[in-house]
Amino acid sequence: MRPHKTFRQRLLKIGFYFILLIIFIYLLFPFYWAVNSSLKTEAQLQMTPATMVPRDPATGEFAPTLQNYRVVFDNQQFVRGIMNSTIIAFSTTALALVAGSFAAFALGKLRFRGKKPTLYLILAMTMFPQVTVLAGLYAVIRTLSLPALISLILSYMIFTLPFTTWVLTSFFRGLPMALLESAQVDGATPFQTFYKIMLPLTAPALVTTGLLAFIAAWNEYLFALTFTSIEPTARTVPVAIAYFTGAVARQEPFGEIMAAAVLVTVPIVILVLVFQRRIVAGLTAGAVKG
Amino acid sequence: MKTNRKSDLAKREERTAYKLLLPALIILLLIAIYPLGQVFYTSFTDRQFASGQETEFIGFDNYRRLLSVTVQQLEPLVDEETNQIVIDEETAKVIYERPIDVLPREPIRYREYRQFNLMGNRYVLGATDVDFIDAIKNTLVFTVTSVFLELVLGLGIALVVNSNFKGKGVTRTAMLIPWAVITVVSARMWEWMLAPNRTGMFNMLLDRFGLTEGSIAFLASSSFQLPAMIAVDVWKTTPFMALLLLAGLQTIPDELYEAAAIDGAGPVKQFFSITFPLLKPAMAVALIFRTLDALRVFDVFQVLLGQSEYSMATYNYFQLIGNRNMGLASAIGVIIFIIIFGFAIIYIKSLGVEMDETS
Amino acid sequence: MNKRIWLSVLMVLVLMFGLLAGCGSPAEEPAEEPTEEEPVEEPSEDEVVITVAAGAVGQELELTQMAAQMYMDDNPGVIVEVLDTPDLAQDRLGLYLQFFEAQSSEVDVYQIDVIWPGDLEEHFVDLYDYGADAVVGDHFPAIVENNTVEGRLVAIPWFTDAGLLYYRTDLLEKYEFDPPETWEELAQQAQTIQQGERDEGNQDFVGFVWQGDAYEGLTCNALEWIASNDGGTIISPDGLITINNDNAVEMIDMAATWVGTISPEGVTGMAEEDARAIWQGGNAAFMRNWPYAYSLGQEDDSAVKDRFDVSPLPAGANGEPAATLGGWQLAVSRYSENPEIAADVALFMASYDMQKMRAVDGSLNPTIMELYEDDDVLEAAPFFGSLYDVFTNAVARPSTASAPNYNAVSTAFFRAVHNVLNGNTDAATALEELELDLQDITGFDIE
Repeated sequence: MRPHKTFRQRLLKIGFYFILLIIFIYLLFPFYWAVNSSLKTEAQLQMTPATMVPRDPATGEFAPTLQNYRVVFDNQQFVRGIMNSTIIAFSTTALALVAGSFAAFALGKLRFRGKKPTLYLILAMTMFPQVTVLAGLYAVIRTLSLPALISLILSYMIFTLPFTTWVLTSFFRGLPMALLESAQVDGATPFQTFYKIMLPLTAPALVTTGLLAFIAAWNEYLFALTFTSIEPTARTVPVAIAYFTGAVARQEPFGEIMAAAVLVTVPIVILVLVFQRRIVAGLTAGAVKG
Repeated sequence: MKTNRKSDLAKREERTAYKLLLPALIILLLIAIYPLGQVFYTSFTDRQFASGQETEFIGFDNYRRLLSVTVQQLEPLVDEETNQIVIDEETAKVIYERPIDVLPREPIRYREYRQFNLMGNRYVLGATDVDFIDAIKNTLVFTVTSVFLELVLGLGIALVVNSNFKGKGVTRTAMLIPWAVITVVSARMWEWMLAPNRTGMFNMLLDRFGLTEGSIAFLASSSFQLPAMIAVDVWKTTPFMALLLLAGLQTIPDELYEAAAIDGAGPVKQFFSITFPLLKPAMAVALIFRTLDALRVFDVFQVLLGQSEYSMATYNYFQLIGNRNMGLASAIGVIIFIIIFGFAIIYIKSLGVEMDETS
Repeated sequence: MNKRIWLSVLMVLVLMFGLLAGCGSPAEEPAEEPTEEEPVEEPSEDEVVITVAAGAVGQELELTQMAAQMYMDDNPGVIVEVLDTPDLAQDRLGLYLQFFEAQSSEVDVYQIDVIWPGDLEEHFVDLYDYGADAVVGDHFPAIVENNTVEGRLVAIPWFTDAGLLYYRTDLLEKYEFDPPETWEELAQQAQTIQQGERDEGNQDFVGFVWQGDAYEGLTCNALEWIASNDGGTIISPDGLITINNDNAVEMIDMAATWVGTISPEGVTGMAEEDARAIWQGGNAAFMRNWPYAYSLGQEDDSAVKDRFDVSPLPAGANGEPAATLGGWQLAVSRYSENPEIAADVALFMASYDMQKMRAVDGSLNPTIMELYEDDDVLEAAPFFGSLYDVFTNAVARPSTASAPNYNAVSTAFFRAVHNVLNGNTDAATALEELELDLQDITGFDIE
């Protein structure tokens, strides 16, 4: 029996890693293709058949170019765009998490009248396509004469705040009521319960929603394009990339766009690497306390 | 409301709740109420975007223009001399009247959307705005298929990542990369990979494996267009689903599984008796937001298909920016809003998410 | 406990309004009038800032900035700022519309596409009021006519564009052909060369690439086919719907036969850059494209360097070659606070000297006819000489005649043609339907 079982276990393990490998290929191969393309010149991109690594069109030798990256780094707007995007995405995430977790605690754990309408109202804010609200939003921003950075942070609330509120609400709701009640018996105010007990327990949810909201704000294009049009110094990364041009009008600098895409993904990967432990760490920490 | 507590405690709780909700509501109302109200109002007018032209209130005309459909029967053509039904000599099929001659033109013109046979008769389905009807169809097919695939793949990935193995951290990070690539850029990347000759990755690979000659027009031929959109979107947003589900999985206590294992429940039974029911709330939220995004899908369609096939949101965009038809565009926005709302309610009801009761 | 909650509420509010206050703008009372005057740089009291929204493309932008500097040197007290705008025409239009909707005075001079004057006419001043009549005769009449709406000169031509036929000189020599003069000749030659090259082992080779995706570029391509077969220009300048005619049907049906034969299936998804990628990779015998592809094709790593030339596009059996007019104009915003100065800047930028500079240093095609005989220009860009005839005979899209509905007209047109190219219907049916659609859109009579 025993050798049979280890064989089965080993088989399971191999199967598991095989599935993992497939997942990796599926998720990362297109990104590999972006890296590959970013290392090619225009002539190499136009080669048929396309090559798995950059190759010289004439000799077929391995010939990557860093030219695209050089151009991207020399682009002042792109470098400034990374800064702008960082500021905007962080502020958006922070604001959406703070306001969202407050609201979510109320919606998930407290009893009050009008809960259902509030939930639907918050969700309704994000149900219109961006382009439909664009003109109205632009009017609001002009009336308040907000600078572009602020107006972007605020307008990104439209899609981040309902998201954080809803996700966190569902997580708060999932926490055992006994915790809340025992805290109340101990004389804790609802706010203390929220701050001292609920928040640590929802850390995985906070990190998850935070990451997703951050990336959503980081990637937004249409609002950013419009609201920064007159203020070029406030342009975000996606807009800066949209302003990439070739040597002449109509030419699309595809290699540079791919180089920028790769570069812009790096900070996010680092961010995720830093925070991904928290996705699981939160619960165990809370469980120890409880 | 439960009455086993003192009412002043309940009141205090209620007051706290309102205070906690305040920041979120203030922000949302400040930024969103005017634009949203404007969309509703404008949808009942003939307003032109960026135009000094006088705006008139036109009631439901925009909605009527977008959604009117009609079904008309097509009579077989009859030869005037012989009084016999005309048969196509090549295909040996009956020739019918042309839809263009049958569909009503006043007060508003209907165009042919589809022809179909029913009970031996031939009918034509006409619509006043064929493109929008088509956009609705495209968007619904796209949404249902891609959200379903994302759910399945996302759940699979979340389950894999949730188990204990070496390289968990790296996998969790790698898992998010597709979602991290800027949407507009990712669409361009896929456009290049789907190029109709061997400069594109897919045609190159298909040719290398000897499956085709490497000249499939993924983005131009109608049988590949929607599947390509779905593939791109599934790749891009599966991580979103997977991460939300993973966070949901993390909140399921290990003790439950241990207890189930002691009771002799296998992994499959554990999944259906523990994982799935406890994951339902997280799944509902993930589904709502994914569906909401999918129904508003814009970048992928705009970059990859442009005006050859519309999604509801790209049709909206071209009506607003191209034709500057702001009233009509707003009506499209409202219709999208209603469809999304419908989906949200379906999810909430069908997944049994309690909204107004604390568990 | 209440304090803490209020504290956090306050925190969020402070975060929001503190930031607002930080930029010194009144946040509480929304001003009724649109707030204006937010120049990027603080001008001193007597200085006037003119903002020019122009193309963002490297050299093109530099040349615009150089011209702005020259204007400033001559006109102390005026600051000319160049605001770069997205290269994608659709994005650029979207931005402009937001400015117009808000009646923004932030941009004074706009670079506009040749198809926009009619649709955007109400937002621009009449340049005849600001002395344009003195120079307008120097420009190509077709462009001036295009930019004139009800007697008002909405925009001054800046640089131009027109469709060209690119052909491979080496392959035409190899297969002993002369550059084709009719579409039928082109199809035959493309077929022969494609077959020959594929037989020699290049499985990716195609005969002819063009812009067949459902977008404005297809309107340009299809207009060239139709106009070159004496099939009119969709809507005539005097506002009659002319598209449903035999010559047009014949050409569109013919183009549909190219798809999947001399042109790849994927051509119905191709825009300019897709076509150029195939062409410049050395995988096409002919290409329809704009002049921009010329200098790129002559770059060192190009597979077709020194192996191609350009000519006017072929003609149909019943007509003369036709090239769709493209290009960009400068228009002055009606919401500008200094329209006289803005108009002066626009006219300066479009003047002989500035266009010459742009032609010599940037290969941008001038709209002033004389420049095509200028020695410096011809020395810098020898192929300009052969373009002169193409530009003088260029066909404008019916954008001014169908204003303000040109976009809807063009969309209906290219979607109808696209349907025929995809084999969903035939040209006769599609054009019959299109004719009714156009009548719905414009309210014009059918010829």
